[in-house]
Amino acid sequence: MRSLWRFDSPRHRSQKTGYWFILPYAVFFGAFVAYPLVFSFILLFHRWNVVTPMEWIGLKNFERLLSDPLFFKAIMNTLKFLLIHIPLQMVVALGIAVLLNSRLKFRGFFRAVFFLPVVVSGVVVTILWQQLYAFDSGLLNRMLSAVGIGKIPWLIDPDMAMLSIALMATWKNVGIYIILFLVGLQDVPRELYDSASIDGATRARQFFRITLPMLRPTFVVVVVLSTIGGFSLFVEPYVLTGGGPMESTLSAVLYIYNQAFYFNHMGYAATLGFVFALIILGVVLLQRKVIETEPMT
Amino acid sequence: MSRRHAGKTLLLVSVCTLMVGMGCSNRRGPEGAAGGGVIELTYWPAPNPQEMQLADTLVRRWNRTHPTIQVRMQSIPVSQSTEEVLLAAIAGKTTPDVCSNIWPGALHEYTRAGGLIPLDQFSDFDSIALARTPRDLLEPFRSENGHYYQIPWKTNPVMMFYNIRMFEEAGVARAPRTYSEFFAAAKKLTRDLDGDGQIDVWAGERDIRPIWWQRLFDFYPFYIAASGGKTLFRMGEPDFNDDAARSVFRFFQECYQQNYFPHTYFQGGDPFLLEKKATHFAGPWEVATLHSLAPHIRYDVAPLPVPDEHKGPVYTYGDYKNIGVFGTTKHPREAWEFVKYLLHAEHDLLLLTVTNQIPVRGDLLTNQLFSEYFRQNPKMVRFAEQAASTRGVDAAPDLKEILDAISQEYEACAVYGKVTPTEAVNDAFRRTKMIVEWNK
Repeated sequence: MRSLWRFDSPRHRSQKTGYWFILPYAVFFGAFVAYPLVFSFILLFHRWNVVTPMEWIGLKNFERLLSDPLFFKAIMNTLKFLLIHIPLQMVVALGIAVLLNSRLKFRGFFRAVFFLPVVVSGVVVTILWQQLYAFDSGLLNRMLSAVGIGKIPWLIDPDMAMLSIALMATWKNVGIYIILFLVGLQDVPRELYDSASIDGATRARQFFRITLPMLRPTFVVVVVLSTIGGFSLFVEPYVLTGGGPMESTLSAVLYIYNQAFYFNHMGYAATLGFVFALIILGVVLLQRKVIETEPMT
Repeated sequence: MSRRHAGKTLLLVSVCTLMVGMGCSNRRGPEGAAGGGVIELTYWPAPNPQEMQLADTLVRRWNRTHPTIQVRMQSIPVSQSTEEVLLAAIAGKTTPDVCSNIWPGALHEYTRAGGLIPLDQFSDFDSIALARTPRDLLEPFRSENGHYYQIPWKTNPVMMFYNIRMFEEAGVARAPRTYSEFFAAAKKLTRDLDGDGQIDVWAGERDIRPIWWQRLFDFYPFYIAASGGKTLFRMGEPDFNDDAARSVFRFFQECYQQNYFPHTYFQGGDPFLLEKKATHFAGPWEVATLHSLAPHIRYDVAPLPVPDEHKGPVYTYGDYKNIGVFGTTKHPREAWEFVKYLLHAEHDLLLLTVTNQIPVRGDLLTNQLFSEYFRQNPKMVRFAEQAASTRGVDAAPDLKEILDAISQEYEACAVYGKVTPTEAVNDAFRRTKMIVEWNK
């Protein structure tokens, strides 16, 4: 049989064969990561509606972005969502994780139950909550009316709608953060609590002086992950409100989607996406700096 | 299998996978297999049942009398809108030869993509177009470069339907003609019938969701009416930052603030058909709907209300749908012959009788051919009279986004009352200018 490789030593042979094995991933990476990234970069300087040929417009997309109040409104809406969602999610996730870390009957069952919304499709969950939040016929308002509180305009009041979405998103995503906190809690050495007890520390003091500081790496992960997840808020406003009322739930990603696929402004949408990615990067770097340097207690 | 062979096979599989992923497909052009000297044209009518029925009849007649030019009628593929389908078809070069559902607001996109051919390249265009349509109605459909890529076919003037029984019960003697008259009537028409403190019937209602095309049935026709026939653009520049726009926003704001219109989105049926509202802004298609779904309702049709100081005729939005020939056609002359066939007076009569939509003709109320139809359908006379005072939409780039900007302001100003009419018009105008500048 003819030799396949120029250098036919077993060592060279095994190295070259390795390249064939990574070829499928390389093709995947090229087609679905590298190519879209490069194409998006090219789009930054073009106007393109998919149908007509691409038209070079220099920095016009960036000029438009700077004078586009809707983009800044979408960014502010997203930040508002994050400000509600991240603290709420951390408090709820940590609280439930602490409970699930204690000796509890049916602990495995509860862990599974809290994780269940994470694996259910976001669209399905959102449609379910749409029914719950409906002003006239929703289950929540019917229950509130039954106890004499009255109806709450969950999704139709501009001041209320983003809060409602944040509540729903917390319910949907909290399971993953419960797991992260559980892992963190189980890594805290038992001896620390034992010695603190001997020194007379109460349970609350132990929580604030031992548990929270020891969970700092977990907090970093949770904050970064939920920030990135929060910045990509899309399905919930898309299905629940379409960005309304009065654009109060128009998230940055929803606005980018609208520009790309509703108005066919691919170049402008790529520019919005590029600037938005830079904003996320900036916020995450800032968060890491703050959380990793500040003592927890 | 040798290792070289294995490597080649792997490479081949990867490349094929990539090609399949990138959509290597065997595209079929719009022309079918035209054998034996028979030319085949494809025609897309609007996808609603009435127009499909009309198209079917017309195509059958044509095919009987034109054995060498056979037309294949196809329904426009289902999508959110015809405009999206046509744009996708232009991109994929799968457009039909002829389409009779061209919305003038999307024409700019089609022509920029090179999707349509100029119809005035045919020597008899002027004579055919002007024999049917008065010059002042034809002229707005001329593109910026001076060519006609569309020929006006039908229009649906947006007018005010009103429920005669509800008007009589509320003590309103006639249809309101001005904003003041409308408010006076609305005060009487909006009522709590069972005394439970909740309003049961409203003077009017509009879809409160900020959906761009919904504004074609409230803000836009009211703006055309209030401004005496102006559209949003003049000489290619936005031109609606004026008193007429502010008065329209003020009108709708008042309607919502006084609860003449509900702040909710009706689910479970058309409130006009359910007699939950006394007025309704719609085109002649509503006549057929009322006839088939609510024949018991006594109604009439009137021009849209205008500001109190308004003088002259009351214009409105015409919701035109026009005919165009696509650039992919291999037989432009034959396609033009088919277009001319669609525009025959007898076929306009068929358009009236089958679809209840108004052909863009100057002689609708004088030509004997149509007199029997109007005698049998007296309500349609109102629309035929109004047709002469209609305006379409500007062939401006990104009209959809411009109407979306107006929709957002409509919601903020009229529905929620969070901004003043002046602020709403200023904001919509500023955003429109930004969109237009970006498109230059």
